[in-house]
Amino acid sequence: MSVIRKSSLDILSVGKWILRRDCRLLSAVPEKVEVAEKAQEEIEKLSGRKRRFNNPVLEYRHVYPEFLPDPNPKWRNSLREKMERADMLKRRSQIDIPEFYVGSILAVTISDPHAQGKTNRFVGICIERKGCGLRAEFILRNVVDHQGVEVKYELYDPTIQSIQVLRLEKRLDDKLYYLRDALPEYCTFPQDMDPEMLPEGTPVPLNPVQVKLKPKPWLERWERQDLKGVSNIEEHLKEKDRVRRELRKTPWEKYDLMKQYRKTIPAEDQTEIWSEVYNQLQQMRVSRKKLSRKRLFTTPKPQLG
Amino acid sequence: MNQADVTKLVSKLRIKVPDQHRRLRSPKGPEGRLDKLRKTVTGLIKFERIELNHHRADEARQYAERLISEAILHGDCHKPTMEIADYWLLEKELLHKLFKVLVPRFENSNTAFTKMYKAPKASSGRNIDKAILELRGNPYPLLTNKHSNNRYLLQNVLLDAAKYEYRQAKYAEMADKIGKNEEISQPKSDDVAKSKPINEV
Repeated sequence: MSVIRKSSLDILSVGKWILRRDCRLLSAVPEKVEVAEKAQEEIEKLSGRKRRFNNPVLEYRHVYPEFLPDPNPKWRNSLREKMERADMLKRRSQIDIPEFYVGSILAVTISDPHAQGKTNRFVGICIERKGCGLRAEFILRNVVDHQGVEVKYELYDPTIQSIQVLRLEKRLDDKLYYLRDALPEYCTFPQDMDPEMLPEGTPVPLNPVQVKLKPKPWLERWERQDLKGVSNIEEHLKEKDRVRRELRKTPWEKYDLMKQYRKTIPAEDQTEIWSEVYNQLQQMRVSRKKLSRKRLFTTPKPQLG
Repeated sequence: MNQADVTKLVSKLRIKVPDQHRRLRSPKGPEGRLDKLRKTVTGLIKFERIELNHHRADEARQYAERLISEAILHGDCHKPTMEIADYWLLEKELLHKLFKVLVPRFENSNTAFTKMYKAPKASSGRNIDKAILELRGNPYPLLTNKHSNNRYLLQNVLLDAAKYEYRQAKYAEMADKIGKNEEISQPKSDDVAKSKPINEV
């Protein structure tokens, strides 16, 4: 398994450069730096943003979206949600459920009583993440022997043995259902793909790829959905499709404040939820990083015979 | 089951939000419903107290609270917030009022920004619930009249007199009691000290 990993020397050299830059600033022009800082503070005071949600725990809403409950008030139950979160953390302490987004390539091994070796491994691109709590699911898509295959897994399924992220990246859209009508080259990934490691601390890369669709018939009317990851929708449209698309547009929906409110959990409630789980999740992340570093640094055992 | 939308952070509303939106019939459908609510919200921000039907008032109240909370959260330098305020406020002077007058007024408050009262219904005609929707801190006199503490109202005058008479009777009773105790145990002067102090009725 080839492993691409930035050496620690590179990081140190970058650190040296930053230190040298700072020393130069401090010695050469100290007054200007102070004035700039004061001006920034004044600007912040004038804008008077007392109500900004600056809490760092809120960043986890992108990484672990299934911890937030369904916003529909019919299905809200604070006790059940608390118990669910405790169960989710318990499961996460048993198996590493990594951070991934729609568009990342994952390899999932589940225990299958009818398979050879009792395990079954599937590699695919995540096209959807849905559900909340213990019922959180994701769908992996791949093209195997010229046949498109999609498998739906539950994140907290106890029969899952491991979830490995082979390529961690985001895409331009939230759901990638259009890959079903796209050319197969955009969904084929080898089953024995190697994991691509990112240097620590880098933000999750955004893949701006624009996918080409096959000619019609399509499974859905992709032209009516606001898709940013598709390149050639206009080529496949007739005049009728364009006219109907204009008639069907609802430009007032993006100003519908209560619709947005009912679809999400308010920030005050989110802060409560994340402050419950943040510490444990943070500890798990740190310990996983340490374990992975330990594995990479083990010396090869001497081969006998 | 749907995952909550995490792209936007919203502040919690401090009013009771019903589970579903009211449809508010209009010939244009959903667009017409938002147009009606736009007019109501513009009127509320302009006049700070309006009288209208209950259902429309309740819906508009939610949207007005959302608009003000977005303005407080992001301020006027934030482009999407400016666009939203531009859509909701049909008169463009009210944009200035929202960001320069209402935001400083409500920035530090812990309560809702609007109040809704039930208004008297028309005596003849349709049986429609009426409501009055107003912004807190408006310059008009209060709608609720709490006269219970006004000492010059007749009921309070009579009650005060009745309380005074009762108290006087009680004092007289206690004075009689003390006198009797003194008669029974003449030499002892401790009884006077031991007798209970007169309590205010």
